[in-house]
Amino acid sequence: MRPLANVNPESLADAVGRLGRGGARAAAVGGGSDLLGMIKDHLVSPDVLVNLRSLAGSEGLDTIVSGSAALRVGGLVTLTRLSTHPEVASRYRALSEAAGSAATPQIRNVATLAGNLCQRPWCWYYRQKFPCYKHGGNRCFSRVGENQFNAIFGGGPSYIVHPSDTAPALVALDAGFRLIGPGRERIVPAGEFFTLPRVDVARENVLEPNEILAGVTVPAASDLRSTYAKVLDREAWTHAVVSVALALHMDGGRVGRAGVVLGGVAPIPWRVPAVEELLAGRQVTGSLAAEAGRLAVGGARPLSKNRYKVPLVENLVRRTLLSLAAGG
Amino acid sequence: MKAVSRRTFIQSSAAVTAATTLPASGTPLGAQGRAADSAPRTAITVTVNGVARTVDVEDRWTLAELIRDHLELTGTKIGCDRGECGACTVHLDGEPVYSCSQLAVWADGRAVTTVEGLADGARLDPLQEAFVAGDGPQCGFCTSGQLMAARAVVSATPNPTEDQVREGMAGNLCRCSNYNRYVAAVLGRAPRRATDRDPLSVVGRTPPRIDAVERVTGAARYTGDVRLPAMAYARVLRSPHPHARIRGIDTRRARAMPGIFAVLTRENCDTVWRSGDQQNPRYLFNNPVRFVGDPVAAVAAVDRHAAEAAIRAIEVDYEPLDFVLEPEEALRPGAVEIQPGGNLSRRRDGEALPDTYQRGDVDAGLGAADVVVKETYVSKHHSNAQMEPRSAVARWEGDRLTLWTPTQGISNCRRDMARDLDLPPEQVRVVCEYMGGGFGNKNQCQDADLIAALLAREAGRPVKLELTRKDDFLGVHGRWPTVQHYEIGASSDGTLRAIRLRGFSGMGPHRKSGGGIAGIELFRCPNVHREVSPAYTNMTVAANFRGPAYPQGVWGIESVMDQVAHELSIDPLDFHLRNLTRAFNDETPYTSWALRECLTEGADRFGWSARWRRAGTRSGPLRRGVGLAIGMFAARLGRSSAVLRLEGGRLFLHVGVTDIGTAAKTAMAQLAAEAMGMDLGEVTVVWGDTDRCPYSVGESGSRTTTHTGQAILEAAKDLKRQIDSVDGPLENRTLIAQATPEPVLDGLARYASAAHFADVEVDTELGGIRVLQYLAMHESGRIVNPLTAESQVKGGVTMGIGMALHEELLYDRLTGIPVNPGYYGARVMTHLDAPEIEVRFIEPDDAYGPYGAKNVGEPPIIPVVAAIGNAVFNATGRRIRELPMTRDRVLEALA
Repeated sequence: MRPLANVNPESLADAVGRLGRGGARAAAVGGGSDLLGMIKDHLVSPDVLVNLRSLAGSEGLDTIVSGSAALRVGGLVTLTRLSTHPEVASRYRALSEAAGSAATPQIRNVATLAGNLCQRPWCWYYRQKFPCYKHGGNRCFSRVGENQFNAIFGGGPSYIVHPSDTAPALVALDAGFRLIGPGRERIVPAGEFFTLPRVDVARENVLEPNEILAGVTVPAASDLRSTYAKVLDREAWTHAVVSVALALHMDGGRVGRAGVVLGGVAPIPWRVPAVEELLAGRQVTGSLAAEAGRLAVGGARPLSKNRYKVPLVENLVRRTLLSLAAGG
Repeated sequence: MKAVSRRTFIQSSAAVTAATTLPASGTPLGAQGRAADSAPRTAITVTVNGVARTVDVEDRWTLAELIRDHLELTGTKIGCDRGECGACTVHLDGEPVYSCSQLAVWADGRAVTTVEGLADGARLDPLQEAFVAGDGPQCGFCTSGQLMAARAVVSATPNPTEDQVREGMAGNLCRCSNYNRYVAAVLGRAPRRATDRDPLSVVGRTPPRIDAVERVTGAARYTGDVRLPAMAYARVLRSPHPHARIRGIDTRRARAMPGIFAVLTRENCDTVWRSGDQQNPRYLFNNPVRFVGDPVAAVAAVDRHAAEAAIRAIEVDYEPLDFVLEPEEALRPGAVEIQPGGNLSRRRDGEALPDTYQRGDVDAGLGAADVVVKETYVSKHHSNAQMEPRSAVARWEGDRLTLWTPTQGISNCRRDMARDLDLPPEQVRVVCEYMGGGFGNKNQCQDADLIAALLAREAGRPVKLELTRKDDFLGVHGRWPTVQHYEIGASSDGTLRAIRLRGFSGMGPHRKSGGGIAGIELFRCPNVHREVSPAYTNMTVAANFRGPAYPQGVWGIESVMDQVAHELSIDPLDFHLRNLTRAFNDETPYTSWALRECLTEGADRFGWSARWRRAGTRSGPLRRGVGLAIGMFAARLGRSSAVLRLEGGRLFLHVGVTDIGTAAKTAMAQLAAEAMGMDLGEVTVVWGDTDRCPYSVGESGSRTTTHTGQAILEAAKDLKRQIDSVDGPLENRTLIAQATPEPVLDGLARYASAAHFADVEVDTELGGIRVLQYLAMHESGRIVNPLTAESQVKGGVTMGIGMALHEELLYDRLTGIPVNPGYYGARVMTHLDAPEIEVRFIEPDDAYGPYGAKNVGEPPIIPVVAAIGNAVFNATGRRIRELPMTRDRVLEALA
């Protein structure tokens, strides 16, 4: 590994200041699992690591507060804590399940929510440092290459898929992300946090280099029923081949408002408004679920080797919807 | 500058429990003797196994690096250094984490527990005891990590369910794939005997491995754990191109960097690595380079970071050449020539022709058949992926080389090293105390061994070379990919009439090993024609991986046989019973043969006839199906040696085995005890060191039990004669017997065999395949230790399921660059993927081999892919003819 310095900031402001002064040579680090791997593989080469975990215990960065109006989760909360928190499990199940489905116990013990949301692509072309768009190049190798795990929606010019499990859940749950930058704080709706490659191919979200994802807020809802279903290509320790986060705000036996967000299919968590609209005001039946599955893949543009994701998504959405509606 | 000796510090600190502080920062920790250094450092206080320590760390050190290199707690292993394997698992404030994926500086003020902290003095943790009794560790390289994960599960949930154990240990790979054993041990389930045959006095009993305690406490010393004074660290620069001519290499910048001791390239090293290619000169550093991962340069430096920086400073001017990845394509006219003389690798007789075998008249047989199935099967490069990456430590004392290396055969490795370095064999000592699996890719000597030796000579100091996980996936070798075109004909009563195979094996650019496609010999058939063309390609080198030519070949032929049975509307069990081999190649009788019993008894136990239904008759989204397949592997006899030394009432057994995880040491000790009429506890095995052990056949080809075991029996005969002829008391005498028998089979064939039965569920909507039940029936002659033999079978089957469902080294077609070299990309089976494997042994008498023992290591993987594939076909009526059977292929097949 190249020489690097670890810095323990004194405060969020200090951390933001150090990131700003460091520019590309400084990187914020939470759990570190992904970042250290990228440094070892020379995908990124920071000189300074701003160790955000030294801020645990300050400014709500490491707490879970489940209030009557909202759930607040600090950016430094580990996936283990998030997935085993009883209130999160009972009231925001999709988030709990998503956090618990990521990686392995060892990684979840250190991986932070913010780090999970901000992790870089796991497209193997990116990880093997092909000179692709994400590395400042001018092509996407997956477009005509080994693209079995790449995007069927929202692709172009890069066809990565967003790797986070918690991201689709938080988008479906209408979360807000709290970003802290130099002298300012902004709340960005989860659905607007992530960036399509056609908007900016170099990045996956709107976080500025001198900003920190300090936490997320999920509005509380007594009528909420949610789940996260993930299909892997081995039973553990991979990212989603495809996944779906469903958040149904129930109105008696009917769906009031629905959040339907796919993972593993697009460069960002892929919200499916057509399905959300279909479900609004309806009772979930077999035929409605089947219709939802069909609508979920509307407009899919598979690549040469990922056509299978189309039936996979269709079936997963149908099954998950039926199971959630049945109370499963 | 005066540095405090690390060893002194560790020893003194181990004796105290209060906080210990190193001298002022700036004094190097000493381990690597770094002088001036610009890398930022921080003094941290960390409590390690209950002892608070203040250490001055470089900020870039990982926690694993601190623990292993600087605190000398080497029980924690590094299998991937990327958080993809779990071997480095330690507890940080009581929670398991990957120590390779944490910086040491982040552990400041926290408590770390390693495997060395589990036992309370000599009293093992109950989980360590359970791992010993339940045969948890095979090679043992993952065991520390498994223990730390299991400890966390049990500490949080004292009586966990099986699901909780699997979930809690899902982040710990075991490539020996002993998942069943680990889970059972944590759950407190005692192993059951997998055979009905009565044991002899020692042989046939189930003692734990004689070195199990070393394997569960972190005491077992692997090559990477060896550290010598003034030792340098090496790294290898590898080609990023699949095929390129090197116009020039500029090492000036690297040589000028601080702390660099030696740089090797083709310009100053023309050593040929002879076991790397049986046909063409394969230099340690080749020009042209012929695959991504081909070594271009190597560096020895004061520490691993300096070595890595130096290889990155080497500038190489490449002229990219055309490349070809597929074996059939490589043999087409106009394909780029990878080796002089063309891309068809020559036969043993030197002819540039395919390997062929023929009996009868295939055209006539096919013409007379009632049904002919013509199909093509495509298998992929499958990485051995053993948990311990290849490594080597080399030290010269004058002209004498000592090499610590994880080899599957210390004798062969010594022979190869001496040959390639032009030394007399006595000048080379090879030591392998413990090694972390190999499955065929640690045979002979590896280029890493030679590179370490040459760097050490150049640097004038000992050198340690550890391959990275990616280096190991690309730079060693995996299973050869194949294309198999079959035509198989049978009569309407189910009798085979003809088998034709035209096959292609992709060897990468070197012929390191066989390249065959085996399996036809499983069947009785009058007309056979087999033609296999091993071709040079620009993929990574392919050679031996467990059952080398069989798993892929048996998958092909057993799939076609299953199809033939299907088209004839015959139960595959009946079809097999009708067409099973009775004599090898319908010609040579077997010494013993119980393949039929494996099938019939297995079918009864599995409930085959009640469960089998014609393929494609299931409906619904989740479809279950059953499949069976058979396998064989030669149980050869041959030359090996053993020395028995009786001294002070103890029997010392000197054998040149290394024990790659098969429990070979334990089996050897059992055979010696049995032969001498002694207790196992009276035997001490001396192993793993060419200075202390006689020649032994390598632990490859499943030969140790038969070859070295037979030598032990012969030596024991001699020793007993000596004992009988001694006058007076034995106590003060030292008696030594040695034997190097070379038994032969007189016109007979000797094979271990197996029949496997799988029950799978295919999710036709999501494309997933789950193995619900698996029965492995094995005939391996007499089983020396049914406990450890069963672990071998469980592991081999699980590894085969990975080959069937997940694994493939995948290449980008445009660039010829592999995209998934590593555990994450390879999708190696986890605790959550591994089903329970039921194992039964059938033990016929056999007049050859020690007490009639055959072999166990290679056979278990052989029928697996075929059994799974046939079960998938039975469930769905669709056959997947390209490996692995991933969701995309399942859903495409069902579309």
